[in-house]
Amino acid sequence: MIKDEISQVLTVAAYEVRKYLRSRRLIGMVVILGLIIGLILGLPPALGSKYPSQPNNFVGTFAGFTGILVILCGTLFAADALVSEHEKRTGYFLFPNPVRREVLVLGKLLASLFTSAAVLTLYYLVVTIAALAATGAASWEIGLSYAYALAYTGAVVGIAYVLSSVLRSTVAATVLTFFLFLLIFNIIGALLFVGKVDPWFIPTSASGIISNVLAPPTEGPPGPFRQFVPDAATSLLVFAAYFVAGSIVAILLFRRRELSS
Amino acid sequence: MAARPSGPNGFPVQLAALGKDYGHFTALKALDLSVHPGVSLGFLGPNGAGKSTTIKIMTNLIRPTRGQATLFDIDVRRDPVRALSRVGAVIETPEFYGYLSPLETLAYAGRLRGMARKDIRARSEEVLKEVRMGEWAGRRIQEFSKGMKQRLAIAQALLHEPDLLILDEPTSGLDPRGMAEIRDLIKSLTGRGRTVFMSSHLLGEVQEVCDEVALLNHGELLVQGSVRDLSRGSGASTFQATFLAPPSEEDLSTLAATPGVQALKRVGDGAVDFTITGGEAAQAEVLEAMVRRGMRVTSYRPLGSPLEQLYLDRIQESDRI
Repeated sequence: MIKDEISQVLTVAAYEVRKYLRSRRLIGMVVILGLIIGLILGLPPALGSKYPSQPNNFVGTFAGFTGILVILCGTLFAADALVSEHEKRTGYFLFPNPVRREVLVLGKLLASLFTSAAVLTLYYLVVTIAALAATGAASWEIGLSYAYALAYTGAVVGIAYVLSSVLRSTVAATVLTFFLFLLIFNIIGALLFVGKVDPWFIPTSASGIISNVLAPPTEGPPGPFRQFVPDAATSLLVFAAYFVAGSIVAILLFRRRELSS
Repeated sequence: MAARPSGPNGFPVQLAALGKDYGHFTALKALDLSVHPGVSLGFLGPNGAGKSTTIKIMTNLIRPTRGQATLFDIDVRRDPVRALSRVGAVIETPEFYGYLSPLETLAYAGRLRGMARKDIRARSEEVLKEVRMGEWAGRRIQEFSKGMKQRLAIAQALLHEPDLLILDEPTSGLDPRGMAEIRDLIKSLTGRGRTVFMSSHLLGEVQEVCDEVALLNHGELLVQGSVRDLSRGSGASTFQATFLAPPSEEDLSTLAATPGVQALKRVGDGAVDFTITGGEAAQAEVLEAMVRRGMRVTSYRPLGSPLEQLYLDRIQESDRI
Protein backbone atom coordinates (compact mmCIF):
# COMPACT_ATOMS: atom_id res chain seq x y z
CA MET A 1 0.00 0.00 0.00
CA ILE A 2 2.73 2.44 1.06
CA LYS A 3 4.79 1.39 -1.99
CA ASP A 4 1.81 2.09 -4.24
CA GLU A 5 1.31 5.50 -2.68
CA ILE A 6 4.97 6.42 -3.02
CA SER A 7 4.71 5.43 -6.67
CA GLN A 8 1.60 7.63 -7.03
CA VAL A 9 3.39 10.58 -5.36
CA LEU A 10 6.26 10.23 -7.82
CA THR A 11 3.85 9.95 -10.77
CA VAL A 12 2.00 13.12 -9.76
CA ALA A 13 5.33 14.91 -9.22
CA ALA A 14 6.64 13.84 -12.64
CA TYR A 15 3.55 15.15 -14.43
CA GLU A 16 3.64 18.41 -12.47
CA VAL A 17 7.26 18.99 -13.45
CA ARG A 18 6.24 18.29 -17.05
CA LYS A 19 3.58 21.00 -16.63
CA TYR A 20 6.18 23.54 -15.52
CA LEU A 21 8.46 22.57 -18.40
CA ARG A 22 5.79 22.71 -21.08
CA SER A 23 4.04 25.82 -19.82
CA ARG A 24 7.37 27.62 -20.28
CA ARG A 25 7.42 28.80 -16.66
CA LEU A 26 10.72 27.06 -16.08
CA ILE A 27 12.20 28.59 -19.22
CA GLY A 28 10.90 31.99 -18.04
CA MET A 29 12.71 31.55 -14.75
CA VAL A 30 15.93 30.57 -16.52
CA VAL A 31 15.64 33.74 -18.61
CA ILE A 32 15.26 35.81 -15.40
CA LEU A 33 18.33 34.05 -13.96
CA GLY A 34 20.25 34.87 -17.12
CA LEU A 35 19.26 38.53 -16.88
CA ILE A 36 20.28 38.83 -13.21
CA ILE A 37 23.59 37.07 -13.76
CA GLY A 38 24.26 38.95 -16.99
CA LEU A 39 23.60 42.35 -15.40
CA ILE A 40 25.71 41.70 -12.28
CA LEU A 41 28.58 40.28 -14.32
CA GLY A 42 28.32 42.76 -17.18
CA LEU A 43 27.78 46.08 -15.38
CA PRO A 44 31.07 46.43 -13.41
CA PRO A 45 33.35 46.06 -16.48
CA ALA A 46 31.01 48.31 -18.47
CA LEU A 47 31.21 50.98 -15.76
CA GLY A 48 34.97 50.57 -15.42
CA SER A 49 34.93 49.04 -11.93
CA LYS A 50 36.46 45.76 -10.77
CA TYR A 51 34.82 42.65 -9.34
CA PRO A 52 35.28 42.08 -5.59
CA SER A 53 38.44 40.11 -4.90
CA GLN A 54 36.94 37.88 -2.17
CA PRO A 55 34.57 35.07 -3.24
CA ASN A 56 32.11 35.84 -0.42
CA ASN A 57 31.87 39.48 -1.45
CA PHE A 58 31.56 38.49 -5.09
CA VAL A 59 28.72 36.01 -4.42
CA GLY A 60 27.14 38.36 -1.85
CA THR A 61 25.97 40.65 -4.65
CA PHE A 62 24.14 37.74 -6.29
CA ALA A 63 22.80 36.45 -2.96
CA GLY A 64 20.99 39.75 -2.55
CA PHE A 65 18.68 38.60 -5.37
CA THR A 66 18.17 35.07 -4.07
CA GLY A 67 15.20 36.10 -1.95
CA ILE A 68 13.27 37.46 -4.94
CA LEU A 69 14.14 34.34 -6.95
CA VAL A 70 12.74 32.14 -4.21
CA ILE A 71 9.54 34.24 -4.14
CA LEU A 72 9.23 33.94 -7.92
CA CYS A 73 9.72 30.17 -7.67
CA GLY A 74 6.99 29.93 -5.04
CA THR A 75 4.69 32.07 -7.18
CA LEU A 76 5.28 30.23 -10.46
CA PHE A 77 5.77 26.67 -9.22
CA ALA A 78 3.47 26.41 -6.21
CA ALA A 79 0.77 29.07 -5.93
CA ASP A 80 -1.67 27.58 -8.45
CA ALA A 81 -0.87 23.91 -7.92
CA LEU A 82 -4.00 23.01 -5.94
CA VAL A 83 -6.50 25.72 -6.84
CA SER A 84 -6.13 25.07 -10.57
CA GLU A 85 -7.57 21.54 -10.21
CA HIS A 86 -10.82 23.14 -9.05
CA GLU A 87 -10.86 26.28 -11.13
CA LYS A 88 -9.82 24.64 -14.42
CA ARG A 89 -11.97 21.55 -13.70
CA THR A 90 -9.09 19.13 -14.24
CA GLY A 91 -10.12 17.67 -10.87
CA TYR A 92 -13.00 15.96 -12.69
CA PHE A 93 -10.34 13.87 -14.43
CA LEU A 94 -7.91 13.51 -11.52
CA PHE A 95 -10.03 13.02 -8.40
CA PRO A 96 -12.18 10.02 -9.43
CA ASN A 97 -8.97 7.99 -9.70
CA PRO A 98 -8.13 5.77 -6.73
CA VAL A 99 -5.70 8.26 -5.23
CA ARG A 100 -5.89 9.90 -1.82
CA ARG A 101 -5.94 13.69 -1.84
CA GLU A 102 -2.91 13.81 0.46
CA VAL A 103 -0.99 11.80 -2.15
CA LEU A 104 -1.90 14.41 -4.77
CA VAL A 105 -0.75 17.26 -2.50
CA LEU A 106 2.51 15.49 -1.64
CA GLY A 107 3.23 14.80 -5.32
CA LYS A 108 2.59 18.41 -6.24
CA LEU A 109 4.68 19.64 -3.28
CA LEU A 110 7.54 17.44 -4.36
CA ALA A 111 7.35 18.86 -7.89
CA SER A 112 7.26 22.45 -6.60
CA LEU A 113 10.28 21.88 -4.36
CA PHE A 114 12.19 19.97 -7.03
CA THR A 115 11.61 22.61 -9.71
CA SER A 116 12.43 25.52 -7.39
CA ALA A 117 15.54 23.70 -6.15
CA ALA A 118 16.62 23.09 -9.76
CA VAL A 119 16.37 26.83 -10.49
CA LEU A 120 18.34 27.78 -7.36
CA THR A 121 20.94 25.08 -8.02
CA LEU A 122 21.50 26.43 -11.50
CA TYR A 123 21.81 29.97 -10.11
CA TYR A 124 24.34 29.05 -7.43
CA LEU A 125 26.26 26.79 -9.82
CA VAL A 126 26.73 29.56 -12.37
CA VAL A 127 27.54 32.10 -9.66
CA THR A 128 30.11 29.80 -8.03
CA ILE A 129 31.79 29.15 -11.37
CA ALA A 130 31.83 32.91 -11.96
CA ALA A 131 33.34 33.45 -8.49
CA LEU A 132 36.04 30.90 -9.24
CA ALA A 133 36.80 32.61 -12.53
CA ALA A 134 36.80 36.14 -11.09
CA THR A 135 38.47 35.58 -7.69
CA GLY A 136 40.19 32.23 -8.18
CA ALA A 137 38.45 30.79 -5.10
CA ALA A 138 35.18 29.61 -3.65
CA SER A 139 34.08 29.27 -0.03
CA TRP A 140 31.94 27.00 2.07
CA GLU A 141 29.77 30.01 2.96
CA ILE A 142 28.50 29.94 -0.64
CA GLY A 143 27.27 26.40 0.00
CA LEU A 144 25.64 27.53 3.25
CA SER A 145 23.90 30.41 1.48
CA TYR A 146 22.58 27.91 -1.08
CA ALA A 147 21.36 25.58 1.68
CA TYR A 148 19.60 28.50 3.44
CA ALA A 149 17.98 29.48 0.13
CA LEU A 150 16.64 25.94 -0.24
CA ALA A 151 15.26 26.04 3.30
CA TYR A 152 13.59 29.41 2.60
CA THR A 153 12.05 27.88 -0.54
CA GLY A 154 10.39 25.28 1.69
CA ALA A 155 8.78 28.04 3.76
CA VAL A 156 7.58 29.96 0.69
CA VAL A 157 6.18 26.82 -0.95
CA GLY A 158 4.45 25.76 2.29
CA ILE A 159 2.64 29.09 2.58
CA ALA A 160 1.86 29.17 -1.17
CA TYR A 161 0.17 25.77 -0.80
CA VAL A 162 -2.02 27.01 2.03
CA LEU A 163 -3.20 29.90 -0.16
CA SER A 164 -3.68 27.52 -3.08
CA SER A 165 -5.86 25.23 -0.99
CA VAL A 166 -8.00 28.09 0.35
CA LEU A 167 -8.50 30.49 -2.53
CA ARG A 168 -10.91 29.96 -5.43
CA SER A 169 -8.92 31.48 -8.27
CA THR A 170 -5.45 30.82 -9.60
CA VAL A 171 -4.90 34.54 -10.21
CA ALA A 172 -5.76 35.38 -6.60
CA ALA A 173 -3.46 32.64 -5.27
CA THR A 174 -0.58 33.71 -7.52
CA VAL A 175 -0.89 37.45 -6.86
CA LEU A 176 -1.37 37.02 -3.12
CA THR A 177 1.62 34.70 -2.79
CA PHE A 178 3.81 37.15 -4.66
CA PHE A 179 2.77 40.25 -2.74
CA LEU A 180 2.65 38.48 0.60
CA PHE A 181 6.37 37.81 0.40
CA LEU A 182 7.41 40.83 -1.59
CA LEU A 183 5.45 43.41 0.38
CA ILE A 184 3.19 42.31 3.20
CA PHE A 185 5.68 40.25 5.23
CA ASN A 186 8.30 42.97 4.79
CA ILE A 187 5.90 45.63 6.06
CA ILE A 188 4.92 43.48 9.04
CA GLY A 189 8.61 42.79 9.77
CA ALA A 190 9.48 46.49 9.62
CA LEU A 191 6.53 47.48 11.85
CA LEU A 192 7.40 44.83 14.41
CA PHE A 193 10.98 46.04 14.50
CA VAL A 194 9.84 49.63 14.99
CA GLY A 195 7.68 48.31 17.83
CA LYS A 196 10.84 46.79 19.34
CA VAL A 197 9.81 43.22 18.52
CA ASP A 198 12.43 41.22 16.64
CA PRO A 199 10.71 39.77 13.54
CA TRP A 200 12.59 36.45 13.73
CA PHE A 201 9.37 34.55 12.96
CA ILE A 202 8.58 36.47 9.75
CA PRO A 203 9.96 34.38 6.87
CA THR A 204 11.21 37.33 4.80
CA SER A 205 13.05 38.73 7.84
CA ALA A 206 14.49 35.29 8.61
CA SER A 207 15.64 34.98 4.99
CA GLY A 208 18.33 37.57 5.73
CA ILE A 209 20.61 34.66 6.62
CA ILE A 210 20.98 33.84 2.90
CA SER A 211 23.16 36.90 2.25
CA ASN A 212 24.31 37.50 5.84
CA VAL A 213 26.31 34.27 5.81
CA LEU A 214 28.45 35.76 3.01
CA ALA A 215 28.81 39.26 4.47
CA PRO A 216 27.93 39.23 8.18
CA PRO A 217 26.28 42.53 9.18
CA THR A 218 26.37 44.11 12.58
CA GLU A 219 23.33 45.14 14.56
CA GLY A 220 24.75 48.59 15.01
CA PRO A 221 24.37 50.67 18.13
CA PRO A 222 21.16 50.40 20.16
CA GLY A 223 18.62 52.94 19.06
CA PRO A 224 16.85 53.94 15.86
CA PHE A 225 19.70 52.75 13.61
CA ARG A 226 19.84 49.22 15.04
CA GLN A 227 19.05 46.60 12.40
CA PHE A 228 17.63 43.11 12.87
CA VAL A 229 20.16 40.35 12.23
CA PRO A 230 18.51 36.94 12.04
CA ASP A 231 20.14 33.97 13.71
CA ALA A 232 20.79 31.07 11.30
CA ALA A 233 19.58 28.25 13.56
CA THR A 234 16.40 30.10 14.53
CA SER A 235 15.70 31.04 10.91
CA LEU A 236 16.10 27.44 9.76
CA LEU A 237 13.64 26.33 12.42
CA VAL A 238 11.23 29.06 11.32
CA PHE A 239 11.51 27.90 7.67
CA ALA A 240 10.96 24.28 8.69
CA ALA A 241 7.94 25.25 10.80
CA TYR A 242 6.33 27.18 7.93
CA PHE A 243 6.99 24.32 5.52
CA VAL A 244 5.65 21.57 7.79
CA ALA A 245 2.68 23.56 9.09
CA GLY A 246 1.87 24.90 5.61
CA SER A 247 1.98 21.43 4.06
CA ILE A 248 -0.21 19.89 6.77
CA VAL A 249 -2.77 22.71 6.61
CA ALA A 250 -2.81 22.50 2.79
CA ILE A 251 -3.42 18.73 2.93
CA LEU A 252 -6.23 19.11 5.47
CA LEU A 253 -7.93 21.89 3.52
CA PHE A 254 -7.53 20.16 0.17
CA ARG A 255 -9.00 16.95 1.60
CA ARG A 256 -12.06 18.81 2.84
CA ARG A 257 -12.57 20.89 -0.29
CA GLU A 258 -15.40 19.66 -2.50
CA LEU A 259 -15.44 19.78 -6.29
CA SER A 260 -18.95 21.01 -6.81
CA SER A 261 -18.68 23.81 -9.36
CA MET B 1 -21.86 -12.82 -21.16
CA ALA B 2 -22.07 -13.32 -17.39
CA ALA B 3 -21.69 -10.30 -15.16
CA ARG B 4 -18.38 -9.85 -13.42
CA PRO B 5 -18.24 -10.70 -9.71
CA SER B 6 -19.20 -7.95 -7.29
CA GLY B 7 -19.26 -7.78 -3.50
CA PRO B 8 -20.98 -10.26 -1.14
CA ASN B 9 -24.29 -8.39 -1.30
CA GLY B 10 -24.16 -8.58 -5.09
CA PHE B 11 -24.48 -4.85 -5.76
CA PRO B 12 -21.80 -2.88 -7.60
CA VAL B 13 -23.70 0.24 -6.52
CA GLN B 14 -25.68 0.61 -3.34
CA LEU B 15 -26.91 3.95 -2.04
CA ALA B 16 -28.50 3.94 1.39
CA ALA B 17 -30.46 6.96 2.65
CA LEU B 18 -27.99 9.13 0.77
CA GLY B 19 -28.48 12.85 1.28
CA LYS B 20 -26.72 16.12 0.60
CA ASP B 21 -27.49 19.63 1.82
CA TYR B 22 -25.89 22.83 0.58
CA GLY B 23 -26.66 25.21 3.42
CA HIS B 24 -30.45 25.34 3.62
CA PHE B 25 -30.90 23.74 0.19
CA THR B 26 -31.41 20.01 0.09
CA ALA B 27 -30.01 18.64 -3.17
CA LEU B 28 -30.58 15.02 -2.22
CA LYS B 29 -33.03 13.84 0.45
CA ALA B 30 -32.55 10.17 1.31
CA LEU B 31 -31.83 8.17 -1.78
CA ASP B 32 -32.02 4.38 -1.64
CA LEU B 33 -30.90 2.70 -4.83
CA SER B 34 -29.14 -0.52 -5.84
CA VAL B 35 -27.75 -1.64 -9.16
CA HIS B 36 -27.23 -5.33 -9.90
CA PRO B 37 -24.05 -6.57 -11.61
CA GLY B 38 -24.11 -6.41 -15.40
CA VAL B 39 -27.07 -4.03 -15.43
CA SER B 40 -27.03 -0.75 -17.25
CA LEU B 41 -29.05 1.79 -15.27
CA GLY B 42 -30.24 5.09 -16.71
CA PHE B 43 -30.42 7.79 -14.05
CA LEU B 44 -33.05 10.25 -15.21
CA GLY B 45 -34.39 13.50 -13.91
CA PRO B 46 -34.79 17.17 -14.76
CA ASN B 47 -32.09 19.75 -14.05
CA GLY B 48 -31.56 20.14 -10.32
CA ALA B 49 -33.07 16.73 -9.54
CA GLY B 50 -29.92 15.58 -7.73
CA LYS B 51 -28.36 13.37 -10.43
CA SER B 52 -24.96 15.07 -10.54
CA THR B 53 -24.89 15.38 -6.75
CA THR B 54 -25.40 11.62 -6.48
CA ILE B 55 -22.68 10.89 -9.02
CA LYS B 56 -20.26 13.29 -7.35
CA ILE B 57 -20.80 11.57 -4.00
CA MET B 58 -20.27 8.18 -5.65
CA THR B 59 -16.94 9.35 -7.10
CA ASN B 60 -15.74 11.08 -3.92
CA LEU B 61 -15.85 14.59 -5.33
CA ILE B 62 -18.23 15.72 -2.60
CA ARG B 63 -19.20 14.35 0.82
CA PRO B 64 -22.69 13.18 1.68
CA THR B 65 -24.47 15.00 4.49
CA ARG B 66 -26.12 11.73 5.50
CA GLY B 67 -26.37 8.14 4.36
CA GLN B 68 -23.84 6.02 2.57
CA ALA B 69 -22.67 5.25 -0.96
CA THR B 70 -20.97 1.90 -1.42
CA LEU B 71 -19.36 0.55 -4.57
CA PHE B 72 -18.70 -3.20 -4.49
CA ASP B 73 -19.46 -3.12 -0.75
CA ILE B 74 -16.82 -0.48 -0.03
CA ASP B 75 -17.90 2.82 1.48
CA VAL B 76 -16.69 5.55 -0.88
CA ARG B 77 -16.29 8.02 1.98
CA ARG B 78 -14.27 5.70 4.22
CA ASP B 79 -12.06 4.04 1.64
CA PRO B 80 -12.24 5.94 -1.65
CA VAL B 81 -9.07 4.37 -3.02
CA ARG B 82 -10.41 0.80 -2.85
CA ALA B 83 -13.97 1.82 -3.72
CA LEU B 84 -12.88 3.57 -6.92
CA SER B 85 -10.30 1.01 -8.02
CA ARG B 86 -12.83 -0.93 -10.13
CA VAL B 87 -14.63 2.15 -11.37
CA GLY B 88 -14.24 4.25 -14.51
CA ALA B 89 -15.99 7.62 -14.44
CA VAL B 90 -16.89 10.48 -16.73
CA ILE B 91 -18.26 13.42 -14.77
CA GLU B 92 -19.66 16.32 -16.75
CA THR B 93 -17.14 17.14 -19.49
CA PRO B 94 -13.88 17.07 -17.61
CA GLU B 95 -11.03 19.32 -18.58
CA PHE B 96 -7.68 17.73 -19.21
CA TYR B 97 -4.18 19.10 -18.93
CA GLY B 98 -3.73 21.03 -22.17
CA TYR B 99 0.02 20.43 -22.23
CA LEU B 100 -0.44 16.65 -22.44
CA SER B 101 -1.50 14.48 -25.37
CA PRO B 102 -4.24 11.83 -25.07
CA LEU B 103 -1.56 9.12 -24.84
CA GLU B 104 0.19 10.98 -22.02
CA THR B 105 -3.11 11.63 -20.25
CA LEU B 106 -4.01 7.95 -20.38
CA ALA B 107 -0.50 7.06 -19.19
CA TYR B 108 -1.02 9.40 -16.22
CA ALA B 109 -4.33 7.77 -15.32
CA GLY B 110 -2.91 4.28 -15.88
CA ARG B 111 0.12 4.90 -13.70
CA LEU B 112 -2.03 6.33 -10.91
CA ARG B 113 -4.02 3.09 -11.11
CA GLY B 114 -0.85 1.00 -10.90
CA MET B 115 -1.08 -0.43 -14.43
CA ALA B 116 2.09 -1.81 -16.04
CA ARG B 117 3.64 0.41 -18.73
CA LYS B 118 3.13 -2.09 -21.56
CA ASP B 119 -0.51 -2.59 -20.56
CA ILE B 120 -1.02 1.17 -20.50
CA ARG B 121 0.42 1.48 -23.99
CA ALA B 122 -1.63 -1.38 -25.42
CA ARG B 123 -4.89 -0.36 -23.73
CA SER B 124 -4.42 3.31 -24.61
CA GLU B 125 -4.18 2.51 -28.29
CA GLU B 126 -7.20 0.22 -27.99
CA VAL B 127 -9.49 2.68 -26.18
CA LEU B 128 -8.46 5.65 -28.31
CA LYS B 129 -9.36 3.61 -31.36
CA GLU B 130 -12.69 2.66 -29.76
CA VAL B 131 -13.61 6.31 -29.24
CA ARG B 132 -12.27 7.27 -32.69
CA MET B 133 -9.39 9.35 -31.33
CA GLY B 134 -6.55 7.21 -32.64
CA GLU B 135 -5.27 9.79 -35.07
CA TRP B 136 -5.17 12.46 -32.34
CA ALA B 137 -3.25 10.29 -29.87
CA GLY B 138 -0.09 12.37 -29.96
CA ARG B 139 -1.56 15.87 -30.28
CA ARG B 140 -1.75 18.36 -27.39
CA ILE B 141 -5.21 18.46 -25.80
CA GLN B 142 -5.22 22.27 -25.74
CA GLU B 143 -6.22 22.09 -29.43
CA PHE B 144 -9.23 19.85 -28.80
CA SER B 145 -12.94 20.64 -29.10
CA LYS B 146 -15.47 19.78 -26.36
CA GLY B 147 -16.57 16.69 -28.27
CA MET B 148 -13.00 15.43 -28.55
CA LYS B 149 -12.46 15.96 -24.83
CA GLN B 150 -15.64 14.01 -24.16
CA ARG B 151 -14.33 11.11 -26.26
CA LEU B 152 -11.05 11.24 -24.36
CA ALA B 153 -12.98 11.26 -21.08
CA ILE B 154 -14.71 8.06 -22.12
CA ALA B 155 -11.37 6.55 -23.18
CA GLN B 156 -9.79 7.23 -19.79
CA ALA B 157 -12.82 5.74 -18.06
CA LEU B 158 -12.40 2.52 -20.08
CA LEU B 159 -8.60 2.32 -19.85
CA HIS B 160 -8.35 -0.09 -16.91
CA GLU B 161 -11.32 -2.21 -18.01
CA PRO B 162 -13.45 -1.23 -15.01
CA ASP B 163 -16.26 -3.40 -13.70
CA LEU B 164 -18.42 -0.33 -13.12
CA LEU B 165 -18.75 2.69 -15.36
CA ILE B 166 -20.24 5.86 -13.91
CA LEU B 167 -21.19 8.21 -16.71
CA ASP B 168 -22.64 11.67 -16.24
CA GLU B 169 -24.22 12.79 -19.53
CA PRO B 170 -21.72 10.75 -21.58
CA THR B 171 -22.86 12.04 -24.98
CA SER B 172 -22.84 15.70 -23.98
CA GLY B 173 -20.96 17.83 -26.52
CA LEU B 174 -20.96 15.16 -29.22
CA ASP B 175 -22.45 15.48 -32.69
CA PRO B 176 -25.24 13.03 -33.68
CA ARG B 177 -22.79 10.56 -35.20
CA GLY B 178 -20.56 10.73 -32.11
CA MET B 179 -23.60 10.19 -29.88
CA ALA B 180 -24.57 7.07 -31.82
CA GLU B 181 -21.00 5.73 -31.62
CA ILE B 182 -20.80 6.24 -27.87
CA ARG B 183 -24.24 4.65 -27.38
CA ASP B 184 -23.06 1.60 -29.34
CA LEU B 185 -19.91 1.49 -27.24
CA ILE B 186 -21.87 1.58 -23.97
CA LYS B 187 -24.21 -1.14 -25.24
CA SER B 188 -21.24 -3.32 -26.11
CA LEU B 189 -19.84 -2.82 -22.61
CA THR B 190 -22.97 -4.09 -20.90
CA GLY B 191 -22.86 -6.98 -23.32
CA ARG B 192 -19.41 -7.75 -21.91
CA GLY B 193 -20.76 -7.97 -18.36
CA ARG B 194 -19.91 -4.48 -17.14
CA THR B 195 -22.25 -2.52 -14.93
CA VAL B 196 -23.15 0.97 -16.15
CA PHE B 197 -24.62 3.81 -14.09
CA MET B 198 -25.48 6.55 -16.54
CA SER B 199 -27.22 9.87 -16.05
CA SER B 200 -28.81 11.49 -19.07
CA HIS B 201 -31.40 14.01 -20.12
CA LEU B 202 -32.03 12.07 -23.31
CA LEU B 203 -34.85 9.61 -22.75
CA GLY B 204 -34.39 7.98 -26.13
CA GLU B 205 -30.73 7.40 -25.33
CA VAL B 206 -31.56 5.78 -22.00
CA GLN B 207 -34.26 3.65 -23.61
CA GLU B 208 -31.79 2.46 -26.25
CA VAL B 209 -28.82 1.82 -23.99
CA CYS B 210 -30.15 0.90 -20.56
CA ASP B 211 -31.87 -2.13 -19.05
CA GLU B 212 -33.15 -0.24 -16.02
CA VAL B 213 -34.24 3.27 -15.22
CA ALA B 214 -34.26 5.25 -11.97
CA LEU B 215 -36.21 8.49 -12.04
CA LEU B 216 -35.24 11.27 -9.66
CA ASN B 217 -36.86 14.62 -8.89
CA HIS B 218 -36.32 17.13 -6.08
CA GLY B 219 -33.65 14.83 -4.62
CA GLU B 220 -36.05 11.89 -4.29
CA LEU B 221 -36.32 8.60 -6.16
CA LEU B 222 -39.71 8.46 -7.89
CA VAL B 223 -39.46 5.09 -9.55
CA GLN B 224 -36.93 2.39 -10.43
CA GLY B 225 -37.48 -0.61 -12.67
CA SER B 226 -36.68 -2.23 -15.97
CA VAL B 227 -37.21 -0.11 -19.06
CA ARG B 228 -39.57 -2.73 -20.47
CA ASP B 229 -41.76 -2.99 -17.37
CA LEU B 230 -41.95 0.75 -16.89
CA SER B 231 -42.74 1.33 -20.56
CA ARG B 232 -45.56 -1.22 -20.40
CA GLY B 233 -47.00 0.08 -17.18
CA SER B 234 -46.89 3.68 -18.16
CA GLY B 235 -50.57 4.65 -18.20
CA ALA B 236 -51.71 6.33 -21.40
CA SER B 237 -49.77 6.62 -24.66
CA THR B 238 -50.40 9.06 -27.48
CA PHE B 239 -50.52 7.65 -31.02
CA GLN B 240 -51.00 9.50 -34.25
CA ALA B 241 -52.72 7.91 -37.25
CA THR B 242 -52.71 9.46 -40.71
CA PHE B 243 -55.19 8.50 -43.40
CA LEU B 244 -55.35 8.66 -47.17
CA ALA B 245 -58.69 10.51 -46.90
CA PRO B 246 -59.90 12.61 -43.95
CA PRO B 247 -61.96 10.43 -41.55
CA SER B 248 -65.67 11.20 -41.21
CA GLU B 249 -67.35 12.20 -37.95
CA GLU B 250 -68.91 8.72 -37.85
CA ASP B 251 -65.48 7.13 -38.17
CA LEU B 252 -64.25 9.20 -35.25
CA SER B 253 -67.29 8.33 -33.07
CA THR B 254 -66.72 4.64 -33.74
CA LEU B 255 -63.03 4.88 -32.93
CA ALA B 256 -63.76 6.89 -29.78
CA ALA B 257 -65.90 3.98 -28.58
CA THR B 258 -63.10 1.43 -29.11
CA PRO B 259 -61.88 -0.06 -25.80
CA GLY B 260 -58.72 1.70 -24.59
CA VAL B 261 -59.31 4.98 -26.43
CA GLN B 262 -59.38 7.66 -23.76
CA ALA B 263 -59.55 10.61 -26.12
CA LEU B 264 -59.03 11.48 -29.75
CA LYS B 265 -58.44 14.70 -31.59
CA ARG B 266 -58.45 15.57 -35.27
CA VAL B 267 -55.10 17.10 -36.31
CA GLY B 268 -55.28 18.76 -39.72
CA ASP B 269 -57.15 17.10 -42.58
CA GLY B 270 -55.91 13.54 -42.59
CA ALA B 271 -54.52 12.87 -39.09
CA VAL B 272 -55.94 11.95 -35.70
CA ASP B 273 -54.19 11.81 -32.29
CA PHE B 274 -55.38 9.03 -29.94
CA THR B 275 -54.77 8.83 -26.21
CA ILE B 276 -54.80 5.09 -25.53
CA THR B 277 -54.67 3.21 -22.24
CA GLY B 278 -54.22 -0.53 -21.87
CA GLY B 279 -50.78 -0.99 -23.40
CA GLU B 280 -49.81 -2.75 -26.60
CA ALA B 281 -53.04 -4.85 -26.84
CA ALA B 282 -55.24 -1.77 -26.80
CA GLN B 283 -52.98 -0.02 -29.33
CA ALA B 284 -53.36 -3.01 -31.68
CA GLU B 285 -57.13 -3.04 -31.18
CA VAL B 286 -57.44 0.61 -32.23
CA LEU B 287 -55.51 -0.12 -35.43
CA GLU B 288 -57.73 -3.14 -36.14
CA ALA B 289 -60.83 -0.98 -35.61
CA MET B 290 -59.60 1.51 -38.22
CA VAL B 291 -58.95 -1.26 -40.74
CA ARG B 292 -62.34 -2.89 -40.02
CA ARG B 293 -64.07 0.40 -40.88
CA GLY B 294 -62.21 0.47 -44.18
CA MET B 295 -60.20 3.54 -43.25
CA ARG B 296 -57.02 3.63 -45.36
CA VAL B 297 -54.24 4.12 -42.80
CA THR B 298 -50.96 5.45 -44.16
CA SER B 299 -49.14 5.59 -40.78
CA TYR B 300 -49.75 4.74 -37.14
CA ARG B 301 -47.01 5.74 -34.72
CA PRO B 302 -46.48 6.69 -31.09
CA LEU B 303 -45.97 10.37 -30.31
CA GLY B 304 -43.13 10.23 -27.81
CA SER B 305 -42.03 7.02 -26.15
CA PRO B 306 -43.90 5.31 -23.32
CA LEU B 307 -40.91 6.08 -21.14
CA GLU B 308 -41.24 9.74 -22.00
CA GLN B 309 -44.89 9.59 -21.01
CA LEU B 310 -43.98 7.94 -17.73
CA TYR B 311 -41.25 10.52 -17.16
CA LEU B 312 -43.57 13.44 -17.78
CA ASP B 313 -46.39 11.95 -15.68
CA ARG B 314 -44.17 11.19 -12.70
CA ILE B 315 -42.30 14.48 -12.82
CA GLN B 316 -45.56 16.45 -13.07
CA GLU B 317 -47.05 14.45 -10.21
CA SER B 318 -43.93 15.03 -8.10
CA ASP B 319 -43.92 18.76 -8.93
CA ARG B 320 -47.57 19.05 -7.80
CA ILE B 321 -46.68 17.54 -4.41
